Amino acid sequence: MFSVTLDLRIFANNAEQQLLKKGKGQPGDMLEKAAEQLMSCFRVCASDNRAGLDDSKKWGMLFLINQLFKIYFKINKLHLCKPLIRAIDSSNLKNDYSMAQRVTYKYYVGRKAMFDSDFKPAEECLSFSFQHCHRSSQKNKRMILIYLLPVKMLLGHMPTLQLLKKYDLMQFADVTKAVREGNLLLLNEALARHETFFIRCGIFLILEKLKIITYRNLFKTVYQLLRSHQLPLEAFLVCLRMMKVDELDLDEVQCILANLIYMGHIKGYISHQHQKLVVSKQNPFPPLSSVS
Amino acid sequence: MSLNVLIMESCDRRLTMSNRSVPLPISYSQKRTSAAGRGWRPTQERWSSREHQPEWSVRKEEMSRKQADPESPGSPRGTCQSMCPNRELQERESQNRLHRFETLAGTEKGRRPRADPQRTVKEYSRPAAGKDSTRPSDLRPPAVLLKTVCYLIDDIATMPGQTSWHEVYDFVFDRLRSVRQDMIIQRTTGPDCLAILERTVRLLVYASFRLCEEPLRLYDPRINDTHLQESLSWLLQCYATEPGPHGNQEEFQALSLLYNLGSSRVLQHTLELPKQLRSSPTVALALSINRAFLERNPVRLLRLAQRLSFLQSCALHRHMAAARHDLLLLYSHGLSSRNCRFPLPRLAELLGLDVGLAGQLCRAHHLEVHQDGQVVFSKTRFTKPEPGRLRCTARHDMVDGKRSDLAKLGSIIHDGPVNKEFT
Repeated sequence: MFSVTLDLRIFANNAEQQLLKKGKGQPGDMLEKAAEQLMSCFRVCASDNRAGLDDSKKWGMLFLINQLFKIYFKINKLHLCKPLIRAIDSSNLKNDYSMAQRVTYKYYVGRKAMFDSDFKPAEECLSFSFQHCHRSSQKNKRMILIYLLPVKMLLGHMPTLQLLKKYDLMQFADVTKAVREGNLLLLNEALARHETFFIRCGIFLILEKLKIITYRNLFKTVYQLLRSHQLPLEAFLVCLRMMKVDELDLDEVQCILANLIYMGHIKGYISHQHQKLVVSKQNPFPPLSSVS
Repeated sequence: MSLNVLIMESCDRRLTMSNRSVPLPISYSQKRTSAAGRGWRPTQERWSSREHQPEWSVRKEEMSRKQADPESPGSPRGTCQSMCPNRELQERESQNRLHRFETLAGTEKGRRPRADPQRTVKEYSRPAAGKDSTRPSDLRPPAVLLKTVCYLIDDIATMPGQTSWHEVYDFVFDRLRSVRQDMIIQRTTGPDCLAILERTVRLLVYASFRLCEEPLRLYDPRINDTHLQESLSWLLQCYATEPGPHGNQEEFQALSLLYNLGSSRVLQHTLELPKQLRSSPTVALALSINRAFLERNPVRLLRLAQRLSFLQSCALHRHMAAARHDLLLLYSHGLSSRNCRFPLPRLAELLGLDVGLAGQLCRAHHLEVHQDGQVVFSKTRFTKPEPGRLRCTARHDMVDGKRSDLAKLGSIIHDGPVNKEFT
């Protein structure tokens, strides 16, 4: 059984390397062929019902799935992952595979959830992956973090500077700072500066979603400065203009505020007649982690 | 245990079936016949799965393989110089299967209408086992295909005075499909291919707008969508692989962004384009609209939408109702207070509607609208309108206002927005 899986892995790796050597030829072609072979092995493993649990071929499933994930992510065919995830979800062995395999599996499932905008499950999977990843594999931990950080940030947990330094992810430093301070200007700058890196990792769009939280933090500052429960909309407009958000008027300010209220980031309501935001006396800006 | 097998089977089926779900159905029977005897491995075909990856990419790969192997014959080259092969014309004439648009003037009332060779167009026919669709005399070369498409646009789709546009659509849709079928069999590439696809996409985008309220038996948005998406991704792939520059690429990247508003796949694809293309005004506007959508800022979205050209508005049209709904939803929560009022004219402006329609929309969402034109937002009152209560054709005027007449529609479909309407 083990030798079967080992052979497979070597086979898959060879296919990948061949592709790399070919370079310009037909990217994705060899990988798809490899996936095809892996898939047929996977079928054999998955349909092994006769053998007892101890030496069932099913133990090979997760390993194969991880290999398939790697291919699917590379050739950008994420929709093919779904049946595989379902196969594992319904498997009674899912918690008994080796930790290394489970870490890899969760990493990919997390990434997939993230692209589907299911941030809660994504956070769970990626956190599991990060916590259980072997301490010596710094490179892997860094890879997990690239995806875990944006998700965590969206859910209101900001990474510390030490963490970013430790894993050489300083690209996130300004983004974090900007979100925390509600500094839209800095956020836009940081996104623009590291655009290539973020786009390559496929997280640019997710980081753009941080804007909503940045608005919230910015508006909270306005509230703290004015120390009032009735905040003129004009004040928000002024501070957004200061952040160089162009083409903005009071209507859009109202819309942004309405969205924040709808999402539960602000407790209060807008009075259009008085052009004021009236916030609740208690806890008008609930902590981020309690909201989403 | 057996449950697992079932699950796995279904998962297998998904993977292998997916190739069949590719809707351009020139499919396997054809490919198999043309590939037979060339050592084409059946396994290859099975894994051509690639859901959402239209057939042309399979076709491309086949082609490159063929180039590597000098012994294999080239793809079939059409020799048919008219829009409809003679054989089909006679066959359909004798079987009385001519369309109203294809009959010879004067004979259509008779028992057996005659075909007008100038107006008959090859119809789409599903590939089936045993049918040879690769006969050169039945295939039209690219130049003839382009001529056919132009005929369909100029003389059918934008012909003034047609009574029912869904009949026009039915005809044009089917004939365009057969054009694409011919292109796939012949593995057409190059400028003609681009020109055909560009026109196809424009026409289908327009149809999706024009017919969106038609009953399902006359117009199925789903089918239109499948074909539109497929032609569009084929086109964008052509832009990516064929040597450029492509004058219209910006236009279609933008259309793709607007038609697929908020789709992370399309957005990611756009982000990976060269910066120069991304920052062109057309694409940049489409990107900002997508950003507004992602940030959930319908006010901005609707505002930016007013800057779009006619065709772009058509592409975005299917998302407009949702955006307006979203705006009312957000305002109902954000401005929910018993004593607060919101002037309806102001709201109408934000919604991009006239006052009457805006009031109607509010009432459909169960929001109170006072006689003096004041809206009371309330999150408890806000409910989704019952389906069917709102008709969207009433709101077409706004989009329609962006073009003057049918003649101009023809030029829009041929050349895109010539005089860019940035109001």
